[in-house]
Amino acid sequence: MTAPILQAKNVHKTYRLGRVDVPVLHDASMQVHPGEWVAILGASGSGKSTLMHLLGGLDRPDPKKGSVVYEGRDLAQMSARELDQYRASAVGFVFQSYHLLPELNVLENVLSGAMVRYGRFGYAARKSTLRSRGEGLLDAMGLAHRLGHRPVELSGGERQRVAIARSLINEPAVLLADEPTGNLDQKTGDAILDAVEKLRDRGGEDAAKQTIVMVTHSREVAKRADRLVELVDGRVRSGSEAAGVS
Amino acid sequence: MYQALLTRRYLTRRIMPLLSALAVCLSTAMVLTTWSVMGGFLQVLLDSGKTFVGDVKIHQPSRGMQHYDKLIESLEADPQVARATPVVETFGVLSLPGDVTKPIQVLGIEPESYNAVTGYYDTLHWRALEKPSKHDPDQTDPRLHPPTPENQDRADRLELTWPKILENGMNLRRIDPRTLEHVPAMVPGIEVSGHVNQRQPGGWYLPQPLVDNPVDIFDWYTMPSHPRAKITLRVLPLTDSGHAVEMASRIMPVANEFRTGNYVFDNNLTIVPLALLQDMMHMDAAERVIGRGGIEIDPQTGKERIVPPRTVVEPARVNTVLVSAAPGVAVNDLRDRVQEIYDAFAIENRMPDASVQTWEQINAGFIGAVKKEIALVLVLFTFISITAVFLVLSIFWSMVNEKTRDIGILRSLGASRAGIAWLWLRYGLVIGLVGSALGGLLSYVIVRNINPIHEWLGSAFNVVVWDPKVYYFTEIPNKVDPTTMMIVLAGGVLASALGALVPSLRAAFMDPVRALRYE
Repeated sequence: MTAPILQAKNVHKTYRLGRVDVPVLHDASMQVHPGEWVAILGASGSGKSTLMHLLGGLDRPDPKKGSVVYEGRDLAQMSARELDQYRASAVGFVFQSYHLLPELNVLENVLSGAMVRYGRFGYAARKSTLRSRGEGLLDAMGLAHRLGHRPVELSGGERQRVAIARSLINEPAVLLADEPTGNLDQKTGDAILDAVEKLRDRGGEDAAKQTIVMVTHSREVAKRADRLVELVDGRVRSGSEAAGVS
Repeated sequence: MYQALLTRRYLTRRIMPLLSALAVCLSTAMVLTTWSVMGGFLQVLLDSGKTFVGDVKIHQPSRGMQHYDKLIESLEADPQVARATPVVETFGVLSLPGDVTKPIQVLGIEPESYNAVTGYYDTLHWRALEKPSKHDPDQTDPRLHPPTPENQDRADRLELTWPKILENGMNLRRIDPRTLEHVPAMVPGIEVSGHVNQRQPGGWYLPQPLVDNPVDIFDWYTMPSHPRAKITLRVLPLTDSGHAVEMASRIMPVANEFRTGNYVFDNNLTIVPLALLQDMMHMDAAERVIGRGGIEIDPQTGKERIVPPRTVVEPARVNTVLVSAAPGVAVNDLRDRVQEIYDAFAIENRMPDASVQTWEQINAGFIGAVKKEIALVLVLFTFISITAVFLVLSIFWSMVNEKTRDIGILRSLGASRAGIAWLWLRYGLVIGLVGSALGGLLSYVIVRNINPIHEWLGSAFNVVVWDPKVYYFTEIPNKVDPTTMMIVLAGGVLASALGALVPSLRAAFMDPVRALRYE
């Protein structure tokens, strides 16, 4: 088996609410290998979103209590600038509430990730390439006719497809999806997952598949993944990390 | 890149940034309008300080200066001096038609040289006017109307055509209607006979009409034209030691009236021929008795004989000489040079010391007070404008709250803290630029049209803010200085950026996870 591209090693995470420390993750460990689709399954409050935030570099584990390692580098050792670059290029986020920028249209939302990553001049130099890629992603998501629309004019499913397209604009190594179908009805959710699968396999048989880490509370949704990591009260359930989805 | 796009969208699709821009706009307009009007007031005051003074004034108020023609000759021989002119300054009392009596400052001048130093001719009000003022669409200003054909001969004979009235004003003379000979005449300020000349809101003066529909000068009671418009001037000559001699009085016609735009001059000053005032003030060239006569014994005959009093011929005197600088000569340099020339002249002619001051030094107390007043007003208004900073701050604080999720999204996309800070700071700068530009435009429109606005306020609401009796000048200054404008506009942009700074830093240091979860 190839070396893991992303792994959490014995991470702890505690939030402070007022004067009370609320532990969310306890000694949680997991690995993600290139091309894998890993589902993090857990009930509400089990810490699965927190784990995803740690994997995405949006948050840090408690000091000296575990680490998140990407391609052999501990995220805690990265400078703020390197961590920004990590979020811009190595990972792509999809959120339950879509989190699109309401003032931008569909295509601009998709390209916003590239604008952040490449900056003014870098983006200008690659503008036509990036625009073509954005339009291609939206076309693959069935939104070619919605490029100029604003998020408020889209349905929930359409918004989530825009969010997925945005997360892939910079061709990240890992796609981090937090309950991507959580706000959608089952039919729309299934369509979204179909679209994700389609995008994952778009390179063809010989190409590497898109690595995906997906947080969900639904076993049905988790069944789409190659592997399951189950979180219970902030702990990885014994045996689940290694086990395949059954 | 994303900052520019989001700034544009936030600016065009939300009402709150427009409110911020409006706050900056109003503050900028307020400060710029105040500064322009008060600064303009100071500038007009400074300019008017030179009115009838020239650049440098030599003043010897007690004994005056004999042989002033030599002094003027010495001054005009110097390359730093353009022209010099003798003047007698004194105070007097005018008795005007209608039993009006008022104290007045009297200047005795030689018109040609006085004009060369002070631009006196340009201040003469009664002259032919080719085009009506834009505020006088009905052409009611008498200066627009030449004599009617039936009155032409009479007007020529009495020199009551506008060109002749101007010429007589320039020469301080008038035709005596009985003898048809020129006699000395005075030129008072246009407001001196304020009961005759009524200043119109548009800036021109209407004399009293003598008929229902006046058509030419004979139908108006103007001071230069009406036969009964004679003024009695009384002055009090003083001896060298400051004792009053008998009051001198002269009834004079009016040749013209001057208008400087400075109410103090226009209301409190009259000009008469130098020779006439020298005569009234006993400052003319004359044989004067300087000793007592008596009776003495003739040493040859041993008889008594009468000794007449000893007399000397004293040359004419003036108490003031005004000097204008040659082109390119700084006023202070001129003052120093004039002092040197006067010192040499005083030693040679045994003259007492005289004060030699620039027009700025003469008005220093008043100008300094006005400068301080302007500075105080500006500080107060700038302080008030700081509220705009807090207004922008509170609006931005609220907007950052509202856009917390956007901040989390951008951070999840890899945006740095500096990038987020720049997004909001840039936004503040753009709002500052837009607000300042609009404020500058608004202020420009207000200042340029401040006199019509003031007139409209007066006619619509009977509100007269700018009373010339209080503010010296008959018109509100309406110039916007480009440098002032740039400073105020830059201040507006800076204020907006300052207001945006704290919310920008708050946005930059937001926890991205909390931001994403913000409801």
